[in-house]
Amino acid sequence: MIVKDSAMKRKWGMAIDLDKCTGCGACSIACNQENNMPIFEDDSDVPKRVAFLELMKVTNDRDAKFPDVKTAFLPKMCQQCEGNAVGKHKADPPCVSVCPAVATDVGDDGVVSQIWSRCIGCRYCQTACPYEARVFNWWKPEYEGSFKNSLSTDVSVASRGTIVKCTFCSHIWKRERDKATANGILDINAVLYTPACASACPTGAIIFGDLNDPESEVSKLAKSDRAVRLVNTVDDETPEKQKALMSKKQYANPKVYYLTSQKWLRDMMRFKKNS
Amino acid sequence: MKKIDRKDFLKIGGGAVVGGLAGYTLSGAPFLGFQWLVEWSQDQYVPAPGIEKYVQAVSDSCTNGCKVSVRMIGNRAVKIESKDGVCPACLNGLQLLYHPERISTPMKISGKKGSGNYQPVSWDQALKDISSKMNALVNEGKANTIAAVNKNESLNGQLMEKFVRNAGSNNVYYEPSLNSITSNALGGYVKYDFAKTDFILSFGAKLVEGWGNAVEMQKQFLNWKKNNVKIVQADSVCTRTGGIANEFVGINPGTEAVLAFGMANYLITAKRMTSSGDDFAKWSQLIINKYPLGKVAKLTGVAEDKIKKLADDFAAAKNPVAVAGKGAHGVSGSSAEIIAVYCLNTLVKSGAATLVKNSAVSYTAEFAGLDKFIKEGSFSMMFLNGSDPVYKSVYGEELKKKLEKAFVVAIAPLMNDSAVYADYILPPLSFLEAETPESKPAVKALKESKDAKEIIISLAAMVDKTKNALPKTSADAYKSAGRETAGGKFSFNFEKIKADIEAYEKKLGQNAEYPVTLVPYEAPLVGDGDGLAFPYVLKSIDPSVLNLGKFYVMMNKETGKKHGFSEGSSIKISSARGKLGKAYVHLSDVVAPETVAIPLGFGHESYTKYGNEKGLNPKKIMTADVDPLTGAADWWSTRVKIS
Repeated sequence: MIVKDSAMKRKWGMAIDLDKCTGCGACSIACNQENNMPIFEDDSDVPKRVAFLELMKVTNDRDAKFPDVKTAFLPKMCQQCEGNAVGKHKADPPCVSVCPAVATDVGDDGVVSQIWSRCIGCRYCQTACPYEARVFNWWKPEYEGSFKNSLSTDVSVASRGTIVKCTFCSHIWKRERDKATANGILDINAVLYTPACASACPTGAIIFGDLNDPESEVSKLAKSDRAVRLVNTVDDETPEKQKALMSKKQYANPKVYYLTSQKWLRDMMRFKKNS
Repeated sequence: MKKIDRKDFLKIGGGAVVGGLAGYTLSGAPFLGFQWLVEWSQDQYVPAPGIEKYVQAVSDSCTNGCKVSVRMIGNRAVKIESKDGVCPACLNGLQLLYHPERISTPMKISGKKGSGNYQPVSWDQALKDISSKMNALVNEGKANTIAAVNKNESLNGQLMEKFVRNAGSNNVYYEPSLNSITSNALGGYVKYDFAKTDFILSFGAKLVEGWGNAVEMQKQFLNWKKNNVKIVQADSVCTRTGGIANEFVGINPGTEAVLAFGMANYLITAKRMTSSGDDFAKWSQLIINKYPLGKVAKLTGVAEDKIKKLADDFAAAKNPVAVAGKGAHGVSGSSAEIIAVYCLNTLVKSGAATLVKNSAVSYTAEFAGLDKFIKEGSFSMMFLNGSDPVYKSVYGEELKKKLEKAFVVAIAPLMNDSAVYADYILPPLSFLEAETPESKPAVKALKESKDAKEIIISLAAMVDKTKNALPKTSADAYKSAGRETAGGKFSFNFEKIKADIEAYEKKLGQNAEYPVTLVPYEAPLVGDGDGLAFPYVLKSIDPSVLNLGKFYVMMNKETGKKHGFSEGSSIKISSARGKLGKAYVHLSDVVAPETVAIPLGFGHESYTKYGNEKGLNPKKIMTADVDPLTGAADWWSTRVKIS
C-alpha cells in the first residue's frame, strides 16, 4: 500500500488552564512514572533534581499583603519552543541551535526531541534554555531494588552525564502510531495521543492537541483572551517593539500556552509588577 | 616443494595477521566491543521487555474506592492511569507496590523495641502467637486491654472493629479524620451536597487540596466553576483553596470558631434566625453574651461590617453551606468550632448539609477519641491497622512509652514510626495485588504478603471468642460492608463544650511568653506525611518547603522584620510543650501577621530511607488539649516563641 502523503502535518501544543489547577500533583507523579525518572534518596536539591515537570507554587505576595494574597500552582515542563525563522536561518528553538551532537532537534510534529544516548553532556542546551526545562544527570540514574520493576520499556534509561527533558511523551505518540499501523491505518496524521500529564489531570486543566488544526481544543484555547505564554520580554513592549523582537532569531516562540483569568498571575508570568 | 625461507615465513605470518585484523574489523566485532565498553562504563539498566496489556484494579483500602487501569509490561505494572482521578494514596500505588523497603513476610521483633530489628517468621507462627496472646487476655478477663487503631473506615478497618469488639473490648479507634471528628462532635458526619449549593463558606477547610474525598471534591470544583458557585475561604494561610476562592477572608490564626460565633450571633440577634438543634437556647445565649461582634472583630481581625456582610451574603444565598474541617489530610478542630459552623447551616436551613452514619463504623469507644485514649488509657495489646499514631498524634512520645510495654501487632506494608514498636509486623497487599468483587489482582502478590482483610479474618478464626463473629472469607466481608444511614439529631452539647467556648478568648489573647502562633499547612502529595516514603513525591516538593536538606517555615514579612528574621535565616520554635529543631524562614505574605506556618508531614523517624530525617514534625510541640467530644487533640494552632 502506498501512502500518498506521509509527511507529518501536526504541530503538537499544550494549553494549561491554571484556573482549573488545584495543585494536586497527579501530573507530576504520572510524568515521573511514565518517563522512568531516576530515584535518589534526597531529591530536595532542586537544581540537581531530575524531573521533567516542575509543580511550581506561585504567589502574589511580592506585591500584595495579607489578606489580599493569592496562591496558584503552575506545572512547568519543556515549552517545546518553535523558534523563529530569520533570513536564511532555519527556525530552531534556542536549545537546538547550540547542540554540537544533534542530540536535540525539532521534528516536523513540532516536538523538540532529545536523544539521551546521543548527548555528550556539554550542557550548552541547558544554558540556552530560557525555561530551565532541561536537567542534567549528575549521577547515574538509580532505581533501587524492586523499583526497577515499574520501569517502562518505552523510555530508555539515561546514562550519567546526559541531558534529559520532556518530549511531550512522544513515545506515547509512537506507541499509538504503531497500534494504528497494526490496524491498517497508515496515515500518521490520523493518529492522536495524550501525554501522561494531560491524561492524569483530574480536572482536565491540561489540554493537549494539534495547534495546526483550527478545530482542536488546544488551538481554540491558545487564541483565547486568557492565554499567556512565558515570553515576558516580548509581551511587555509596545506593538512596534514587539514586532521587532519577535522577528529576532532568539524569539523562543513556545508551544505551551497557560490560561488564566487572574491578572496577578499573568503579571507574575511576565515579571511585571502587580497592579 | 619450495623450501619456506625466513622471508616467506614472515610474509605468511604478516599476511595472516593483516587478514585476521581485516576480518576482525569487517566482522563488526570491534564495534560490538566498543558498545560493550560503553555499556559497561555507563551501566545503563534496560527494563525487561514483555507484552503490553491493560488490567483494571479497584482499591478497597482507600475510602474513595479508586478505580484505575494499570498498564502492564509482561507481569510488571508500569503505570496507573485513570479517567476519573485517583486519591493521593492510590496515585502512589506503584511506588508502594515495588517499594524496595516493602515488608514481604511476617516479621517478629528480634531486638529492643524501636530499634527496627526484625526477623522473618512464618504466618502460622505469627498468627498462633498473636491469637494465643489474645485468647489468654480474654480468658483472664482482660479483654478490654486489647486495643486497635485503624487508619480509616475502609473494609479492613470495619473488620478490625468487629474483631476487637467481639473479643470483648471497646477500645477501637480511628485516626482522627474528617468523618471521625465530625461524627463525634455532631452525632454523625456531614454529608455535603456540593452539587446543589450556590454559596460555600469554608472555615479553613482546604476544599480542593484533598479535604474530604479528594476525587469527589475535584469534580465538584469543576461544577462550581461552571455554575458560578461563590466560594468564600476564611483562613490564616492563603493556600490553593484560598487562591481559587471568589473571596479570601484573612483571619488571625486559630479564630475560625470565633468568626463562626460572630456570624451566628449576628444571624440570631439581627436576623432572628433559630436553629433546631438541642440546647440551642443555652448555646445562643452564651454566644450572644460572650462574643459580641466588636469582640469577634478584634479577635479575628475581620472588621465588624465585613462580618455582617459575610453573614448577610450567606443568609441571602439560595442554598448556602458552611464547611468546617481544616486540613487537606491532617484534620483538627475543636467540637466547639465544628458545632458553631454546623449551627450556621441549621440557622439558614441549608439543604446541602445533612448528618449521616456508617452502619458498620461506630466512633464510640471506651474513650471519646484516639488522643484521649493515648493520654489516659492503658492497653496490654494493640493492633495498628495501617495506622501511624506515633507520628500523627501530638501524643506520639507518650504512645511510644505505652507501646514499649504492650504486645503490639502492626499491619503495615512499610515500616513506620509506630510499626517500629511492634512485636509482630504483618505485611498487607497493596491494592494492585488484592482481589475485589469487581476486579482480579493486577499483579501477583509480593512474596508472603496477604490481604489485610484475610489477615484479620484468619486471626479472628483462631481466637475462641471471635471464631464465628466475622465473615469466613474476604468475599463474604464485602456483603457485610457498612452502608450509609441517617445520623442522629443535631445537638449543641452545651454542657460539654461550654468551657471550650469560653476558653477561646483567653487562648487568643495576648501572651507575653508565646507571642506568635504556629499553624500547619500541607504541601501537595506530602499531605500529613503518608506520601513521604515515595521518591516521586519528594521530586514534587517545592523549594519553598524543603531545599538542599533545609526545612522552611513561612512567616509574614512584617512579622519577620519585627522579630528580626530575614529570608533564609534560621529559626528555633518552641511552645509550652517543647522545642523543635532548626528550621529556616521563608518570608511570605500568604501567612497572616504574627503567624508561622509550618509544613505537615515531615520529620519521620522510621518511615523508609526516603521519608526519614527530612524536616521536622511540628506535632511534637503542637498544643495537646483534648476536645471533650471528639477525644482528639485540637492541635491546629499553637502559641509559640521564636528565636
